[in-house]
Amino acid sequence: MDIETLKLCGIVILLAPLAGAILAGALGSVLRGRTHWMAILGVGAAFAASIVIFIQVHGAHGEDVVASIPLYDWIANGTPSVFRFELLIDPLTSLMLLTVTGIALLVVIYSVGYMREHGKPERGYERFFAYLSLFVFAMCVLVLGGNFLLLYMGWEAVGLCSYLLIGFYYQRPAAAAAAKKAFLVNRVGDFGFGLAILLIYLTFGTLEYQPVFELVRQGITGDGFAVSQGTITAIALLLLCGACGKSAQLPLHVWLPDAMEGPSPVSALIHAATMVTAGVYMMARCGAIFSSSVTAMTVVAGIGAATALFAATIALVQTDMKRILAYSTISQLGYMVLGVGVYAADSAIFHLFTHAFFKALLFLGAGSVMHAMGGIIDLRRFGGLRRVLPWTFVTFVVGSLALAGFPMFSGFFSKDEIIHHALIAHPLLGAIGLLTALLTAFYTFRMVFLAFAGEERIPDGVHPHESGVWMLAPLCVLSIGAIGAGYLGIEATGRGLHEFLKPVFATTFVTNMPAYDVHAGHGFWAEYGLMAFSGGLAIIGILAAYVIYVQQQWFAGLTKTTFPQIYWTLWNKWHVDEAYDAVLVKPMRKGGKVCVGLDDYLIDGLLWFITAIPRGLGYLLRTMQSGLMQGYALSMVAGMAIIIVLVFWS
Amino acid sequence: MTGITEYLILGAILFALGLVGFLSRRNLIVIFLSTELMFQGVVINAVAYARLHHHLQGQAFALFLLAIAAVEAGLALGMIVMLYKRKGTLDAEAWSVMRG
Repeated sequence: MDIETLKLCGIVILLAPLAGAILAGALGSVLRGRTHWMAILGVGAAFAASIVIFIQVHGAHGEDVVASIPLYDWIANGTPSVFRFELLIDPLTSLMLLTVTGIALLVVIYSVGYMREHGKPERGYERFFAYLSLFVFAMCVLVLGGNFLLLYMGWEAVGLCSYLLIGFYYQRPAAAAAAKKAFLVNRVGDFGFGLAILLIYLTFGTLEYQPVFELVRQGITGDGFAVSQGTITAIALLLLCGACGKSAQLPLHVWLPDAMEGPSPVSALIHAATMVTAGVYMMARCGAIFSSSVTAMTVVAGIGAATALFAATIALVQTDMKRILAYSTISQLGYMVLGVGVYAADSAIFHLFTHAFFKALLFLGAGSVMHAMGGIIDLRRFGGLRRVLPWTFVTFVVGSLALAGFPMFSGFFSKDEIIHHALIAHPLLGAIGLLTALLTAFYTFRMVFLAFAGEERIPDGVHPHESGVWMLAPLCVLSIGAIGAGYLGIEATGRGLHEFLKPVFATTFVTNMPAYDVHAGHGFWAEYGLMAFSGGLAIIGILAAYVIYVQQQWFAGLTKTTFPQIYWTLWNKWHVDEAYDAVLVKPMRKGGKVCVGLDDYLIDGLLWFITAIPRGLGYLLRTMQSGLMQGYALSMVAGMAIIIVLVFWS
Repeated sequence: MTGITEYLILGAILFALGLVGFLSRRNLIVIFLSTELMFQGVVINAVAYARLHHHLQGQAFALFLLAIAAVEAGLALGMIVMLYKRKGTLDAEAWSVMRG
């Protein structure tokens, strides 16, 4: 790898989106409806540079695939070390960069068509593109950063940008509340992440990736003492806390479904390329720490599997398309976390990569439907749109097939790998993964059939029209990715992606993997049998959805009437929001009221008492003011006379 | 050329007259004229000392004072007109809003 080229590309990746954001914000009032070019050029330049980096990394061999590039001394605090602004480029980084900037570029292009009303730019058009570009910048800092401090900076910047974008329609109370919720829930996770970083610094005396991971591998602290297993586990669990916040895992998942209050392209960006992938990326990056603690890995796998199943059950009954997609994202992120937890981080990243394509595709497709339906996204209010929106229909089905894990589509390969590894490590969690796969196929196609199949139903006063080329072009590109991305990782193509990522995980997840029954996972029947089985599950799920929602529609209402309790529990998302409200929000609000009372009576009373003293004195003195000009003149003359007398007397 | 006592006495008389006028009269224009009178008392002092010391500083100073007095007169008369428009009287006692 050529360090100078990498350095230049890294700088371009960081500065181009930032410049795009600043220019879009500063010149927005001049450029108006052309502001999107700033974001497109900025993100496009970053994408081009990412391709160059990918080619460089792909062409390298052996030890050469990892490059640490210091740009400048960032915080020179003297002892014990200097925090440098440095970039780390390795296969994991290059793949993440490609995903982030590539998907983001498509989302930005799509937004040009989406953020318009009757062909005119929507209110806040320039603000939107400035935020989008800033979001990409933040994510690139997170991915490119070569130490935990930069990771944390990108991490927080991503949180800020998500807040700004979710609350983009800040005039709507629901959007403002969703933005606040996302920010606050993320803060809980970030607090754990911050503690983890402090603990890493205290234990190892540095925050740079390579030295920290090397020390973890050797099992010694920065001072050369042996590091206890408990410390490693604590660090890993605190890092997991951060990942739970960003990647919307139980119990911090509550912000993600609400995040769809933002414009649809934002949902696509958050759910596919940026933000939620940060947690999974961080766990893969910190593989040395996670894989050193069996306890932490078990917790990770457990949380992942639980989240996958939990979110999938909720998605079964929702009627808001974007909400279904949001829960499917949580569920798929659960798979990725499960993948990390069963020492298959490369499969998790593979799933992250394929998921980015089909989830961006689905969200942008849902946005296209919403655009055509005049802002309505509730499946009860429209249906049978396959003739009205032919392009959206076809691309949406492609995305759904990939999400459902239909054989030979991208989601099939990556999800199957994770389940495969999970079955070897924790058979129970693997079984949960299989069950979730069935549910996923069912709820995905429930949504597809309700929206596109059956007779045409369109809300009153809406004149649907297929979206323009700005929106359809990204959909088509993403469809190709949703079909093809899976072939990068499978056996038949020489396991390209896994070989590519191998140098990153070879010394972490691979070496630290406990000795499971190796024979259980290999051999023709174990691998291809599982493939056939999970593919079969996907087909069963799709067929079940077809029977229930197209052929025998009377069946659909049956669960609601037969098992009302289950139905309403799922409809109300297991009452998690209500539980948080009762346990946290309400007591805190009461505490706030007590504080207001103290402020109003105790502190204000004290202040009133203190200010009463000068007020009383002033009341006495102000009687001397006559308000007459000549009175003041007389006192001046008198004063002058006194001074003269004093001067001549002495 | 001996003493300048006479000049100083003349200046002092002008200043004292002005001061008394300033303090005792109610009419805003007369009050303003009294300040001008005090000014002239000071100017005479400046000129007298210039004569005593044989240089022109005091005289130049006197010219500046006159110029400033003229400007100030313009401003002050303008203000008096404004005040008169507000209340329809020139009585200084009409303006005592600052009374505590």
